[in-house]
Amino acid sequence: MQTLKSKLFFAALLAALGGHAPIGAAAPKHDLYLSVLLSGPGQIMGGRTPALSGVYRSTDRLKVEHVGFGHIRMFQVIGDPHSADGLYLAALNGVVHSKDRGKTWRILTGWDMTEPKGLAIDPNATDHIYAGLPDGIAVSRDRGATWARMNGGIRRSYTQTITIDRTQAGRVLAGTELGIYLTEDGARTWRLVQPTTETTYDLRQSPHDPKIFFAVTTSSGALWSEDRGLTWKPIAGVPKKHTLHNGVFDPSDARRLVLCGWDAGLLVSEDGGRTWLDRTAGLPNRQIWSVAVDPDQPGRLYASPFQQPVYVSEDFGLNWKPAFFEKATAFNLTFVPRP
Amino acid sequence: MKTLSCLALAVVFSVPLARAQPSFKGPMPDATVIVDASLRRAAYLSRIDEALVWRAAMAKPGEPKTFGLGEIVSKLARREDAAACSERLIELMKAPTGDMFWMFPVTAIYYLGRDQLTPEAKAAVREAWRAYMPLRGDTENHWAMYYSSLYLMAQQWPDEPGERWFNGKSSRENFEESRDYLLHWMELTTTIGQGEYDCTHYIGEYAIPMLYLATWARDPAMRQRGRMMLDYIFADYAVETLNGMYVGAHARTDDTTLLEKWNGLSSFFGWLLLGNCPPTVAYGGWGIYFVAAAKNYELPEVIYRIGTDRAGTYTHYERKRTRHRWRNSDVRNAPVYKTTYITKDYAVGSDQGGLLQPIQQHSWDVTWAVPDPRGVHNTIFSNQPHFSAHELMMYFTEKPDFMPAAVTSQGKPTYIAESKLLGGSPYEQIFQRDDTVISLCHVPAGANFEQVNGFFSKDLARFEEDASGWIFTQGGNAYIAYRPLAPYEWKPLEVGGKRLRSPHGKNGTIVQAASVAEFKSWDDFKAAIRALPLEIRLEPTPRVAFTTLRGKKLVCTYGAAPVVDGTTFDYSGWKLFSGPYLNAEVGSGKLTITHGALERVLDFKTITITDRVKP
Repeated sequence: MQTLKSKLFFAALLAALGGHAPIGAAAPKHDLYLSVLLSGPGQIMGGRTPALSGVYRSTDRLKVEHVGFGHIRMFQVIGDPHSADGLYLAALNGVVHSKDRGKTWRILTGWDMTEPKGLAIDPNATDHIYAGLPDGIAVSRDRGATWARMNGGIRRSYTQTITIDRTQAGRVLAGTELGIYLTEDGARTWRLVQPTTETTYDLRQSPHDPKIFFAVTTSSGALWSEDRGLTWKPIAGVPKKHTLHNGVFDPSDARRLVLCGWDAGLLVSEDGGRTWLDRTAGLPNRQIWSVAVDPDQPGRLYASPFQQPVYVSEDFGLNWKPAFFEKATAFNLTFVPRP
Repeated sequence: MKTLSCLALAVVFSVPLARAQPSFKGPMPDATVIVDASLRRAAYLSRIDEALVWRAAMAKPGEPKTFGLGEIVSKLARREDAAACSERLIELMKAPTGDMFWMFPVTAIYYLGRDQLTPEAKAAVREAWRAYMPLRGDTENHWAMYYSSLYLMAQQWPDEPGERWFNGKSSRENFEESRDYLLHWMELTTTIGQGEYDCTHYIGEYAIPMLYLATWARDPAMRQRGRMMLDYIFADYAVETLNGMYVGAHARTDDTTLLEKWNGLSSFFGWLLLGNCPPTVAYGGWGIYFVAAAKNYELPEVIYRIGTDRAGTYTHYERKRTRHRWRNSDVRNAPVYKTTYITKDYAVGSDQGGLLQPIQQHSWDVTWAVPDPRGVHNTIFSNQPHFSAHELMMYFTEKPDFMPAAVTSQGKPTYIAESKLLGGSPYEQIFQRDDTVISLCHVPAGANFEQVNGFFSKDLARFEEDASGWIFTQGGNAYIAYRPLAPYEWKPLEVGGKRLRSPHGKNGTIVQAASVAEFKSWDDFKAAIRALPLEIRLEPTPRVAFTTLRGKKLVCTYGAAPVVDGTTFDYSGWKLFSGPYLNAEVGSGKLTITHGALERVLDFKTITITDRVKP
């Protein structure tokens, strides 16, 4: 049996080989989940899959284990507030739940809901799940047992991302094809708070100040709100000509933000969004599909350049090293509280 | 990409093709219409046997790779080698792959093998349906395969809990969800039209699931619906065929079938059901999964007659719908208006232009009849080559920027090519009257691409560029006059023939077809075309005023409704089907199929089939 000392040695060795430091003796509070396509952009449905795509989990930031089924389109993973072992997926087959950390699964939605992209659970009403669909928004009030479409008032209802205001039950923002919509009554009614010309791809609430929201879009750049999403203004210094995929707060530092996109590379701000620095150098291309900030390790970023390894930086993007996979497109990098 | 749905051709053609396929390699079938029903049935059963025998023989002793699901299904359909099939099936179920394209073959194998497979083989299949979660897919053909298979397997294994199924749902939940989807799709199709309409390949992905429902559903209503949908699909096909070739506009075709019109899975159905063309290679690949249960279906005589009678000229109209639109559209399914004019010598078909389907749309062409279609590019058409993330975002839910390039590695290699001949354009508007097509293009500056491509086949019997501006051609017994609206150049094609490249954004094409028999000579045809009144204007927007060979005065202006004989054309009354053979009102769920005195009415509201012989 390995001793603790030898375990730490091998962990350190692996981390050095992998290019980033292990969390070390202090166990991380979160697991890293990566939703990836590993068989290349030419992979078609029904075709043979040379590599096992789907959801991978890293409990130590050094190695990954495959979780669940090997689908080529898995869009988001979130934790289950009712169970430390529970997981919800937004996947091509629908909203999917596991009660045992991915050993078994149940598709919660039916034939009439396809390809949910975004998923959120109301922290103040934890039975309530919101799913962003290509043709609207579905809401469950019973932890996914039943669903109802609730996107009244939304024109062009393609919905990519859902964020729930943690200060008020039933107060939800949705990133749709033509803008950001707000509901304050649990999706019974929606109103447009910020029009966009094309899809809003990410929408987040600051972990430091709940009044602040951050959104990124296809052709309207990045947007900022300081009044709980009621009004928005464009963030200067962020280009509008590229599709932005992710906009992320650093949970360890209120001044730090990160965003990424196709041909946009990876940009960081260290002054609360006033100025932006290009931190793509060291990554193999500027087509950055997704980015995440490690909540357990200040300054650590993960980024997924298109069809390249998932990279890690220990210094907020100044230096990068490959961390996981040989060629991946990570649809989502996320951290879920550890059981 | 999803999305970008898929033929899984690697799976289809993983079988060795060395062994001769009798009808594929043999002479053209005798296309004589078989009047005697028993003889027609015997010929049909003979073709089924031919395909099954061929595929079953692909399995070689000691070579497991030659013994796949296609060979197993063929052997079980022939009730042979059950022990070997069981043994091999157990191996194959250890590593399932193929998603919905795996589900329906395994469903057929299980049902055909219920009294042949060993308990161990059946258990292996059962375990695979617990452990392997197939993708549900993202298009209606995926869902037809997924839910028909799930319906039948949930029926086969009733009263089992969610733990026994890949998706965590109980047998009852899976059965009900599948049933609900299938009923939804059937209603949608029979009231506002099929979404993936008139596909030269995907016809199989609908026909096979419907055959399985017609064969194995225990609920008599679902069995009847399956049978009715088969009739519906095949009537829709038969009315737009020329010697088995699917003609006219297609929601989806491919770069090969686009030119060699016979070379699609649809022609396998022409061979099997109509007996008037050769089957495509390997019996269309997926065709084997149809023939495995095909003895349980009989094409109604009225559809057979429609598919084989080309004694008279007719115009067929139908309304379809676009695939589901997710973005860049205020409607989920826009209407598609199709016109197809058919003679024994040629067919002219079109839609109204625009982006009606992603990537593989084919909007119009002229197809001429040939003695043997194998290897022949018997068509002429133009297209406005277009690609865009806008198009792909409309029909797929992916992030936009990577999609155009990704599509080219997903079996659609020409998608972003300037030389492409396949695909629709938002900048093309088409109008057809009889055998005249007017296509107008107005491509904004900077769009991909500011040009029109025209396809001129290696198999044209005549080709003359006339000083009048017309290009006169002959294919088979069809004369075809082609008028480019803007200057052009010629580019050779690797597959033979040449491409007309007209690098102008304001552009278009006029085509007028006719039978050789209508004229005393080639010169008479040319003179007749030259004499037709024609006004062309490209500024400020393309406009054509043309009096057709059939005497219709057409005025087409880009961005405006066409005018026919002084009356503005109104699409609002366009029926689901109208013409001499198929008729249905939008929303009715009722299709009347007629040929001569024969009539069959499919009423999906009452789930009834009514046959009568009219006095």
